[in-house]
Amino acid sequence: MNPRVILAAAIIPLGLIIAAVPQNTTKPYKLTAGQLLEEVNSRTQFLAPELIADMLVSKDPSIRLIDVRPQDEFEKFSLPGAVNIPFSDILSDEWTDILHQDIKMNVFYSNGSVTANEAWMITRQLGYENNYVLEGGLNYWFDNILNPQAPTSTSPSEEFARYDFRKSASMALGGGGVVPADGSSAPAPALPAIIPRVAKKKVAGGC
Amino acid sequence: MGPLAVNEFISENTNLFLAFIIGIGFGWVLESSGFSSSRKLAGVFYGYDTVVLKVFFTAAITAMLGLLFMSLFGWIDLNWVYVNPTFLTSAIVGGVVMGAGFILGGFCPGTSFCAASIGKIDGMVFIIGLFIGVFLFGIGYDIWDELYMAKYLGEPKVSEALGMRDGVFGLLLILAAVGMFFVAEWAEKKFPREEY
Repeated sequence: MNPRVILAAAIIPLGLIIAAVPQNTTKPYKLTAGQLLEEVNSRTQFLAPELIADMLVSKDPSIRLIDVRPQDEFEKFSLPGAVNIPFSDILSDEWTDILHQDIKMNVFYSNGSVTANEAWMITRQLGYENNYVLEGGLNYWFDNILNPQAPTSTSPSEEFARYDFRKSASMALGGGGVVPADGSSAPAPALPAIIPRVAKKKVAGGC
Repeated sequence: MGPLAVNEFISENTNLFLAFIIGIGFGWVLESSGFSSSRKLAGVFYGYDTVVLKVFFTAAITAMLGLLFMSLFGWIDLNWVYVNPTFLTSAIVGGVVMGAGFILGGFCPGTSFCAASIGKIDGMVFIIGLFIGVFLFGIGYDIWDELYMAKYLGEPKVSEALGMRDGVFGLLLILAAVGMFFVAEWAEKKFPREEY
């Protein structure tokens, strides 16, 4: 038999099958429960508020804060430059480009650190990397970065150094006891430009 | 779950080794299908021999079907398969340059190595020309940098642009390919050449 006819007889039915079946869009889970437990226990996803404050003050472009609280809370107060991705929306396709990338360092925050940590666990389970959690959440941020308490005079000098840093960070970040709660603060920033995921590896091909 | 190297099932070096084996296989198939003959390659432009069209279209639809089925079975995550980003202007200009070089030289880059490996002098000369071209492109990069990077489109897919599922577009491509094979065979009968 003519090879073309054999080829056509084999390939056209396969094409019909692939056209008829739904596209596989399932997202593969990349970590086993054990691996995730290990990562959760290692606590490496937590970033210290001092580090984040330092990066915000120096306007480090590699950091992206993600507010996982509901939108109304985000509108009342948010950290400078934060993007609002409410926790209930985290699996929406709309956010995949932000959460699944390897250019920026995403830092989740919520009021405490529980919701942010849950957001981190979900994205980690999807195999996404470069997502972190603000340790202590906004509550710790208010108490220690925006309204730092002066150490007692008998405290070690490191305490004073930390206090000085927090005080200057607090001033740079608009703290100092002033907590805008009436929504009169700067409007929520627009979403940053979506950066396409870069491929891990370049493979050149051709004839 | 593929891709194997991206998901670290195999190391980077194993990946390169597999690429080496596959590359040898590719070269062997090229040579045994007659791709080291520049007359055969040029035939596709004149219609007397359309083996280039047939081999590459068969390869393309086979690979496409393989990837779509593997994705369907959950063996590979297509989001992680590297796709060359599209720079529209340089793709068009590069295509014209490549096509002109193909007709003039009688080889495309891969087949010139194929021809050189079986001792064809024109293949070796073609490779020298290829390196001269690479060198000129490199030292003159500042001149065509702007053209080279113009009209960046990301990694578009035809199926997405047409708003259809990958599988449906796959079927259309298969039908187009099979149709083209019959046209190609007809052309070979219409414009025959005795010996080449």
